[in-house]
Amino acid sequence: MLGRQPIGLLFSAPYVAFLLVVFAIPLGFAVWMSFHDFFFTAPGVAVPHPFVGFDNYRAVLSDPAVLSSFAHVGVFMLINVPLTVILALVLAAALNRAIRGRVFLRVAFYVPYVTASVAVVGVWLYLFNSGGLVNKVLGPLAPDPSWLVNSTWAMPLIALFVTWKQLGFFILLYLAALQNIPKELYESAATDGAGTWRTFWSITVPGVRSATGLVVLLAMITGANLFTEPYLFTGGGGPDGASTSPVLLMYQKGILQGNPDVAAAIGVILTVIVLIIGAVNRWISERGER
Amino acid sequence: MTIRHPRILAAAAVAGSLLLAACGSSSGGSTAAGTTTGPITVWYSNNAAEIEWAKQAIAGWNAAHADQQVTGNEIPAGKSSEETIGAAITAGTTPCLIFNTAPAAVSGFQKQGGLVDLNTFADGASYIESRSGTDVAKQYQSADGHYYQLPWKSNPVMIFFNKKIFAKAGIDTKKPPLATYAEFLATSKKIVASKAAQYAIYPSPSADFYQPWFDFYPMYAAATGGKQLVVDGKSGFTSAEGMKVINFWKQLYADKLAGTEVYQGDSFAEGKAAMSTVGPWAISTYKGKVDWGVVPVPTPDGMAADQVHTFSDAKNVGLYSSCKAKGTAWEFLKFATSQEQDGKLLDLTGQMPIRTDLTTTYADYLKANPDYQLFADQAARTVEVPNVANSVEIWTTFRAAWTSSVIFGKTDPTSTFTDAATKIDQLAASS
Amino acid sequence: MTDTVQETAVQENADPSQVGVGPPKRALGILSTVALVVAAVVSLFPFYYMVVGSLQSEPNSGVSGAFPNPGNLTLGNFSAIDDRIDLVTALVNSGIFTGGVLLCTLFFGVLVGYALARLQFRGRGIVFAMLLLVQVVPFQLLMIPLYVLIARDYGLSDNYLGMILPFAINSTAVFIFRQYFLQLPAELFDAARIDGAGEIRTLWSIALPLVRPAMLTAVLLTFIGPWNEFLWPFLITKDPAKQPLAVALANYISTVASSVANPFGAILAGAVVLAAPAVALFIAFQRHFVSTDLGSGVKG
Repeated sequence: MLGRQPIGLLFSAPYVAFLLVVFAIPLGFAVWMSFHDFFFTAPGVAVPHPFVGFDNYRAVLSDPAVLSSFAHVGVFMLINVPLTVILALVLAAALNRAIRGRVFLRVAFYVPYVTASVAVVGVWLYLFNSGGLVNKVLGPLAPDPSWLVNSTWAMPLIALFVTWKQLGFFILLYLAALQNIPKELYESAATDGAGTWRTFWSITVPGVRSATGLVVLLAMITGANLFTEPYLFTGGGGPDGASTSPVLLMYQKGILQGNPDVAAAIGVILTVIVLIIGAVNRWISERGER
Repeated sequence: MTIRHPRILAAAAVAGSLLLAACGSSSGGSTAAGTTTGPITVWYSNNAAEIEWAKQAIAGWNAAHADQQVTGNEIPAGKSSEETIGAAITAGTTPCLIFNTAPAAVSGFQKQGGLVDLNTFADGASYIESRSGTDVAKQYQSADGHYYQLPWKSNPVMIFFNKKIFAKAGIDTKKPPLATYAEFLATSKKIVASKAAQYAIYPSPSADFYQPWFDFYPMYAAATGGKQLVVDGKSGFTSAEGMKVINFWKQLYADKLAGTEVYQGDSFAEGKAAMSTVGPWAISTYKGKVDWGVVPVPTPDGMAADQVHTFSDAKNVGLYSSCKAKGTAWEFLKFATSQEQDGKLLDLTGQMPIRTDLTTTYADYLKANPDYQLFADQAARTVEVPNVANSVEIWTTFRAAWTSSVIFGKTDPTSTFTDAATKIDQLAASS
Repeated sequence: MTDTVQETAVQENADPSQVGVGPPKRALGILSTVALVVAAVVSLFPFYYMVVGSLQSEPNSGVSGAFPNPGNLTLGNFSAIDDRIDLVTALVNSGIFTGGVLLCTLFFGVLVGYALARLQFRGRGIVFAMLLLVQVVPFQLLMIPLYVLIARDYGLSDNYLGMILPFAINSTAVFIFRQYFLQLPAELFDAARIDGAGEIRTLWSIALPLVRPAMLTAVLLTFIGPWNEFLWPFLITKDPAKQPLAVALANYISTVASSVANPFGAILAGAVVLAAPAVALFIAFQRHFVSTDLGSGVKG
């Protein structure tokens, strides 16, 4: 028995084939690679790839550069996630109240999201280099050494950039969620004489809880996959490796240095962490709803 | 990392032997690699001067070999070319010859099974050694004593200085005091203190593995009288001479005589820095833009100019295993590195063919272009990057130590470089 | 499900907070207006600066450089970058890459989205579980094995097909389609089936016209992915004639920019070229790209 409408199998077949080719097989290959001694060879060159157990994982976990790259992503998330949640929610709520210029504002917030990182990183480099506009405006308050060569500021600046770039998308998610809050709640709050702040705190914030869960999760996945920004901003993880990310190291080790097995191990660890975060996130938001 | 090395050793050995077998079979079962002929494709670097050279070389060959036509393409130069070639090897899409193979990448390409052992050609080793001289050629041998690259051209590194800036800072432009570290530091301080330029010298501070070749390595070659970074599997930069070079640069950065921010433009051309470490290519690059003078790289206590060694910055030619017509490829390679073509290369690009007879064969040209004479003399005393396994990873390790302790001055150089040496010795030992 | 409905919903929602406008509420209104204006300026300033900088003949990073100066304007930066990168070719490559992904996503994505929402068949649960898992696993883990598979086993390096393949069907778009088909009333489909219409006809003539807003949302969402994608085409295309604009520009930034007279001007000119099509497309379609579309996807 293939179900009531077996034609569904036919409809799904292209997508399933696609997932097998570009998702399941590479995922299996990556996991396999991470447990073997593997490097890329020219076609026709057969080289044994002996099983090495957890050797690649041990190599990764004992490499201080890898550990600090995870720490950098931690710093990134500490700045990016709360900032994203707060700014997106506040701006979405304000946008929801606004009467005039809503279309313009929505476009304004969304434009950074639709533009390629490669394009806007160029402008940010121009704005934040040591002789750039930001430092000119800040004058004596400008950090020394400048932002992107300052190991304290490089990662926060990247986090700020990503927040700026993604904000429009998250505002959109919150706008949708705000419309699902029954307006009777606001009306009864108004009759009870609740202040604006209390209304926001006791009705709006709980009302968008599931959206917040999604925003946090998506922002974290973005953080875990951080690559383009440090690659372009700091010339591959500078200054002094203060802005490396796990994916940047995967690229360096896997492609530049010819150790794809080690790179795959980093990737598997990263995926497991993201899955755990996702599960915890889901657990928290489900518990909150009960 | 250490656990894996014996296995990589075994794997590399197997790869090598399989490669030899593959080469043999592809040319019809005979043991000599290079008998198959036919059309081939070659890649060359994408700067204007080299494009011009390559086009005329290909046209010259094609006119005489109707049945073995050569097609040429540019490849992205600089940052991405090693990675481009590495990916093409994996995908089996390499051309027959690449006239832009970095010596540091050869051990990796060889391990991938991407390169043809040139010793498998009957006249392979003898051609290379007679053209470049046995001593020079030896630097390019792989661990098994065979050649997987043909040493092609070098860009011996020297120090360019901006005469206008030096004059403004009140420094003698005829004989600027730059021979010893003390002189170099004093001159640098004078430049920056007088505000003639923001920085004395401004090598790229980025984390790329190849950046040491333009700050540390030329001076290390000079200070040690011509030693490679790794000799017989042991790294030498923690020696007294090596630490002198390291501490010299540390001083430059600590006194803000060198810039720590990646600069998007050309700091030397724009007058942001008074000096630059350059090869002979710089002569045509800065023609009409900067009034320059040139000196050899400094040494701790000074040295006669004709004794100073430097980094060679060579680009070589590799013959890639995906090539079908290896016979044609080898013949074209010999044609492109003949005395005539090497003369054209010197004339068109200003880069130095790696030949024993450089200064005598092209004496007329060098007399007519005295600027190049200095570099040609320097070309006799160059040091190449060591041809050892995990070369890119070794340089990355070195660069990481350099960035933290020299550029940003955050860690103690002695302990940082001792740790780096331990790791590098392990990496090199796996060959 | 049209945007007029959505706009009214927003208006109505805005009302309660306007109830009983007193002094503190007005202060709050001013505060939120200020916040919105500041945020809009921060969002747009880099784009303004990008355009101004791309037109400068001499780089001016001072405060005065933020304003166009007639004496310092040129289109030279656009021709400088065009000398190094074939902008037209790169734009065409970006177009082919993005267009291929859009076509595949719309065609195959609608089919599977419909099946997941409206059809009972064996294995539906597994397909849906995979759809969710894809969103969680970082692409970068798959990147290297994918590279080996596509470049070597399928021989698709420097090939549009190889560029498109990993992105061919956007799973987020599939998810949105599913949510939309799910929201349509079941009676519609029952009626169609009683009339004896086949599933393909039901999908084509009944379901599809009703989910047009979802199509637009999916188009815009899908468009952003390949148009801006850097890492994958960077790996798979080594032939400059096949590189999309994002890759060509990144290569330009990291290698050749230092050799032109005004590198920042040239970089910014390239950035304008890359940003313009996406921004223009978004502004043209933004009316349709409203939050309800995504909202329904979020709830699932």
